[in-house]
Amino acid sequence: MLMSSCDDKLEITNPNQQTADAYWATEAQAFAGITAVYNALVTDGTYQRTFPSFNDSRGDDMYGDSPAVYLELGGQFTLPTNAAETQWIWRDHYMLIFRANQVISSVGKMDASIIGDDAKRRILGQAYFLRGLAYYNLAITYKAVPVVTEPPVDKTQYYPATATEEELWNQIFSDLRNGEEMLPINYDNVVGPDRGQKGRATKGAAAGMLGKAYLYRKMYPQAEAQLAKFFTGPLQGIYSLVPNYRDNFTTTNENNAESLFEVQFSATGGSVGNWTGEPSANWRQFIALPVAYGMEGKAWSDYQPTQWIYNEYRQEKTVDNQVDPRLPATILYYNEAEGNTTAYGAPWTASLRDKIYPRKYTMEGLGVPFETPETGGMNYRVLRYADILLMYAEVLNELGRTAEAYPYIQQVRSRAKLPDLATVRPNMNQEQMRDQIAHERALEFAIEGQRIHDIIRWGWLYDPAKLAMLKEHDDDFNTWTPGNEYLPIPQSELDNNANLLPNPANK
Amino acid sequence: MQQVLLSKRGWMLLLFLLYAAVTQVMAQGMTIKGKVTDASGAGLPGASVLLKGTSIASATDVDGNYVLNVQSGEGTLVVSYIGYLPQEVAINNRTTIDVTLQTDAKSLDEVVVVGYGTQRRADITGSVAVVDVADMKKVSTNDVGAMLQGRVSGVSVNTDGQPGAFPQVRIRGLGTFGNSDPLYVIDGVPITGVPRDFNPNDIESMQVLKDASAGAIYGSRAANGVVIITTRQGRKDTPLQVEYNGYYGIDQVWQKMPVTNRANYQILNNESRLRSGTKALAPANDPNNPRFVNNIDTDWQEEGLRTGNRQNHNINLSGGGVSSTYNISLDYFGNKGTYVGNGPTYERYTARVNSTLEKGIFKFGQSLFYARSDENGLVTADGVLAGGRPPLINDLVIAIPTMAVYDPANEGGFGGTLQEREDAISLNGIGYNSLIKSTTDVDRIFASGYGELQLLKRANHNLKYRLNLSHDVVTARDKTFIPTFNLGYFFPNAIARLNDNSRRYESSLIENTLNYEATLGRSSLAVLVGQMYQSENGVFKQGYAEGFTKPYYPVLSNGATSTSSGTEDAHVLSSYLGRVNYSFDDRYLLTATMRRDGSSRFSPVNRYGYFPSLALGWKLTNEAFFTVPKTIVSDLKLRASWGKLGNENIGNYRYLPAINSNVVYTFNNGERVLGGLQTSVVDESIKWEEKTTTNVGFDAVLFEGRVDFSAEYYHSKSEDVLVDIPIPASVGSVNANLLVNAGTLVNKGFEFTAGYNQTIGDFQFGISGNFTTLKNEVLSLGTNVNSRLGVGSITEIGGEVGRHYGWLVDGIFQSQEEIDNHAFQKPGTAPGDLKFRDISGPEGTPDGLIDTYDRTYLGSGIPKYNYGININASYKGFDLTIFASGKGGYLINSRLYRTLMHTGGDDNWHEDILDRWTSTNTDTNIPRLIWTDPNENGRDSNREGWLQDGTHLRINTVSLGYNFKPSFVKGINKARVYLTGQNLYTFQKYKGYNPDFTAGVFEPGFDNGSFPRPRTVMLGVQVGF
Repeated sequence: MLMSSCDDKLEITNPNQQTADAYWATEAQAFAGITAVYNALVTDGTYQRTFPSFNDSRGDDMYGDSPAVYLELGGQFTLPTNAAETQWIWRDHYMLIFRANQVISSVGKMDASIIGDDAKRRILGQAYFLRGLAYYNLAITYKAVPVVTEPPVDKTQYYPATATEEELWNQIFSDLRNGEEMLPINYDNVVGPDRGQKGRATKGAAAGMLGKAYLYRKMYPQAEAQLAKFFTGPLQGIYSLVPNYRDNFTTTNENNAESLFEVQFSATGGSVGNWTGEPSANWRQFIALPVAYGMEGKAWSDYQPTQWIYNEYRQEKTVDNQVDPRLPATILYYNEAEGNTTAYGAPWTASLRDKIYPRKYTMEGLGVPFETPETGGMNYRVLRYADILLMYAEVLNELGRTAEAYPYIQQVRSRAKLPDLATVRPNMNQEQMRDQIAHERALEFAIEGQRIHDIIRWGWLYDPAKLAMLKEHDDDFNTWTPGNEYLPIPQSELDNNANLLPNPANK
Repeated sequence: MQQVLLSKRGWMLLLFLLYAAVTQVMAQGMTIKGKVTDASGAGLPGASVLLKGTSIASATDVDGNYVLNVQSGEGTLVVSYIGYLPQEVAINNRTTIDVTLQTDAKSLDEVVVVGYGTQRRADITGSVAVVDVADMKKVSTNDVGAMLQGRVSGVSVNTDGQPGAFPQVRIRGLGTFGNSDPLYVIDGVPITGVPRDFNPNDIESMQVLKDASAGAIYGSRAANGVVIITTRQGRKDTPLQVEYNGYYGIDQVWQKMPVTNRANYQILNNESRLRSGTKALAPANDPNNPRFVNNIDTDWQEEGLRTGNRQNHNINLSGGGVSSTYNISLDYFGNKGTYVGNGPTYERYTARVNSTLEKGIFKFGQSLFYARSDENGLVTADGVLAGGRPPLINDLVIAIPTMAVYDPANEGGFGGTLQEREDAISLNGIGYNSLIKSTTDVDRIFASGYGELQLLKRANHNLKYRLNLSHDVVTARDKTFIPTFNLGYFFPNAIARLNDNSRRYESSLIENTLNYEATLGRSSLAVLVGQMYQSENGVFKQGYAEGFTKPYYPVLSNGATSTSSGTEDAHVLSSYLGRVNYSFDDRYLLTATMRRDGSSRFSPVNRYGYFPSLALGWKLTNEAFFTVPKTIVSDLKLRASWGKLGNENIGNYRYLPAINSNVVYTFNNGERVLGGLQTSVVDESIKWEEKTTTNVGFDAVLFEGRVDFSAEYYHSKSEDVLVDIPIPASVGSVNANLLVNAGTLVNKGFEFTAGYNQTIGDFQFGISGNFTTLKNEVLSLGTNVNSRLGVGSITEIGGEVGRHYGWLVDGIFQSQEEIDNHAFQKPGTAPGDLKFRDISGPEGTPDGLIDTYDRTYLGSGIPKYNYGININASYKGFDLTIFASGKGGYLINSRLYRTLMHTGGDDNWHEDILDRWTSTNTDTNIPRLIWTDPNENGRDSNREGWLQDGTHLRINTVSLGYNFKPSFVKGINKARVYLTGQNLYTFQKYKGYNPDFTAGVFEPGFDNGSFPRPRTVMLGVQVGF
């Protein structure tokens, strides 16, 4: 008697949190589950800072200029394997995958008495899309990584082996295909707590990412069929370019008609920075790119645009003989003739007038006198309709249908008020068109994390002429060695998982 | 049982009922009183008075008075005191017996407090060290742990010089990967955590239980060893005794890091940037730039370190009546630290009331302790300043000399760098510590009481029931206010913020024990059985507000926005314990214990742990065949023990997988939606960690007590060690470390303690010392884990914890040809860079490539030995104490030194860098400066200075005192003045501050930036009325 009564008191429950065993029993929990997957998009290693900035700095449109030396070495393709930044990117993408796996596994098992079929498909579709996106990001960053599709049952399952590239890409295709099939075109008329919520994954987002994945793998017929859905198929007329290019990168006009998927950030609400760690209700969901990219004296100025990309914008004038409007939207520069004499509402610092800084994804011009670390508010665009247009043009060109590519390219050029390509450069051959598309993509997507992946998939690094050109654009390429276009698998990860293989960048 | 397990209010009531009951019961037997003095007539405090052949014992108070309750007027008293010859006195029906002891004797008859009772020192079979409290108190510190440094073999103490810091105390090495703090038991109550707020002046005795047998009675709590402390009690039939102890001292940092001045800094930084080929010169360092700085040359250590002070005042009141005793102490301790700015400072007020009451078969004792401490911390608020800073002392030393301390143009008034001028991130530590105020205020109430009932009292049989109750409440308030300021590049703060957090910890204990003692012929037997229930609760609240406007009134309501959060926590232990002590003919001794613990920290299947132990002792000198004269070998005892101890020193609810239901995502530009799922993984199968210890040793007293010597060997093996192992990030868990029963660890070593005492006329001299060796080996780290990396360290199966790990350096490349003929290192490797040795590759053989496969062990981070030496001498009224301690046989990885010797980056440099490689200075082992460090010369390696010999000898205390004659001033019966120098000097090769820094478990040799221990000179008085 004595024993039992005292020992009874040893059974105590956690007063702070529900235990996992009893979870996944209601529709509300299914919705809460998918919301928690989105949360993994907004940390340092996903879209808050490091993933986009490490993509940018490796391209020939940006270079690191930071007292934090790894931010420079990343762009110079010499990042040490133990650099925290590669660990963050790896870690945060797998956090997303772990959460998506829980939703796919647990919501997938819910029967109709718990959740309606429409809601279930929407939730699963989002989880598949987000997982597919995470694996896509990992594949283009690390080449080959482990593929995990179930939450681990116990600690013996914590040590997955590296998958082949084939397996990895098949998983990406499969996840995005599932997402496309299950997701609605929008959430305006759905029945459930997600009704009207912009920022959730849609059919268009999954379809577009799948096209992008096929293109990356040079699977042109599949990519053509996939991207054609936006012009002649079920997604026709859903998306369009917004008239003002800069609306894609500021806090105004977010989730607009051009956006297929964007990660939601907000300058207000919450008090705890969403850098990393256990999420709390007090998380402030800011984007840190503005403070990382903003000009000297106003922000950290960790990265700067290359002179090459600045000059590239000046190759053509608009139809009304003005500078390409994408230049001032992308780059902050001093030019009295063009009316650029202030930065952050104040006159340019005299000593910095010959320097150029990023403007895209900064708060410059949005009413702040300087950047502060935790108050970046604009959403990050993962996929824009302009990309669908230029990808489709590229696919057509690769399939030998070069002439058909013109109108798709021109839609993007026309928004920038550039003259008709069919007039200024008619009858290009396939090779010329490739270069033209490369040029168009560079201007349209500078500082959007795209350039290095285009360079990789076009094979430019292994083409001596193209490599020489890249070195001219950005002397960061002087220190590139074969294999180092990828980020190294984090050293701590190799140390902790014997089944994991190094990649070429670990050398 | 429910009656015993009363609610907290209920047991307080019970205490008072017991209190009332004891006054109504008749006494039995008789009481002997008296005074124990030395040859000069001065009372000897803490002397032991024992009824021979029994365990009935007492100890004298501060004036040498004692009271002893005995059955009859027959028998013999044995009176003993450390450093004096024991004396036996027949009682002969006397009720007052005064005893004068002669010095120069070592006694083994002292009463030693062990778990749940006392034992004669001579009868102890386990490994129990008694700390010389009088000597120990000569060290001025705010904490008990620091006093243990160098005092006891097998006990290693690491600490640093920050006021309010609590040191790391490790008993017999690192027995676990988690919390390795020993268990502290104060007046019979195991306390939660370390005794941070405890007043060292209250200590009457201190014992350290080191092996499994001694500690086994504390079962689950004793795996890291036990420190048993008793506090001062009054004596019966003693009029009020008043004592005052106080000192005042000054603290000064006596070590200075030689760093480069402005001119050298600029030359070096320019050289580093120019060589990179891409990094432009910083305008402030470029003589051709209008922004060149030539009028600032800040010596940061000179500006940032000041003279601190410390003081302690203690009043002790004690006395007693026929059936009661009391001891009241009031204490103030204050320590102002040596860093310019708000912190660190530490102040503490404590009060303690101890009393006992007895009547007949009832005895009642209570202790009430209150402490209030105010700490002004030296903090680095990571959330405010971007980029994760090192400890603030490092920031002070590495700050660049071209930055001004003060700059009225900056908000806040302190200097800082500019990107467009110095182009360096450098924190003004003085400004930071002056602008940010961070305080921790702690209130602690610790109440304990016991009731004892003598159920049976016969000549040869004794049975006692005892009820122990205690309640310990700690409330702490942590407040940090950060005003708006501008400390330059990277360190502006545009938003004023306040963190105002509170913590409350409660711990309640109920213990029921029965103690039976019997003497049967030549056998004596003591049996203890008991039950214990302890519950701990924590409540944590965090308040945060930001957007304060000037003038500041920093309370939460004044922020523009505020948030709050909070958690709760509970822990329960339920245990049963038993012990048998048996001795035959004062020759053979046996102790056996068993304890069963149940912990709320494990799932029901793994909840209970069983912890047995057995110890044997053999007093050789009492054998007939032992014919060596007693004048040569007075006492010799062999002892051996074996036992198993448990550990559950982990957080709560760690076996329960939890849902985080606050995973927020903002849809639609502002609509915050809460999501929920499992964000972190746990191992649900965690269970008790077990440590099995074997101990053999002997205790000898030679030459009639002039020499005493103990030696022992221990071997302990910890299995199923609870450890947070890093799991691959590909698991996707936010918590990247999984708590599992993963490790097996072995610690073994020898411990020696020796003492020598001599008296020649008025001159007394004593020297004692201890020496400990330690060898640590990791046998397992868990499934799938063969190694674990720490900071520049690796813990690997077959090796010890946290060996230094990195690349081997074979000098410096002198030519491109040499580089071309060497294994490939990095694309940018050039002459002047370190040459790393190609020792392996993916196939296990050298592969012509320097990469992570080429890392290897670079040495141990754990001291192979540590020791302490204490010398006492006195002549007439003068007394002198010298105390020194040290460690050796390990290498230190110093973050501060490595930062100061960087090859890339903008921090200031150590003057050693002046010997760097240049095209004209090639005969050096310091590589070239290049801002981008393409060869990664800064990586973990065995290059010169990266690992430094930690061997040291610290002169902890030199104290000279003078005792005035009792008749010196009327009414004062004791007066002593003393001058003490503390931490006077450390013989060390280490180029950081403290070779005995505190460190993380997996990087024992990594000094992240310990605060320098100041040199203290203090003047004190001790007066008794």
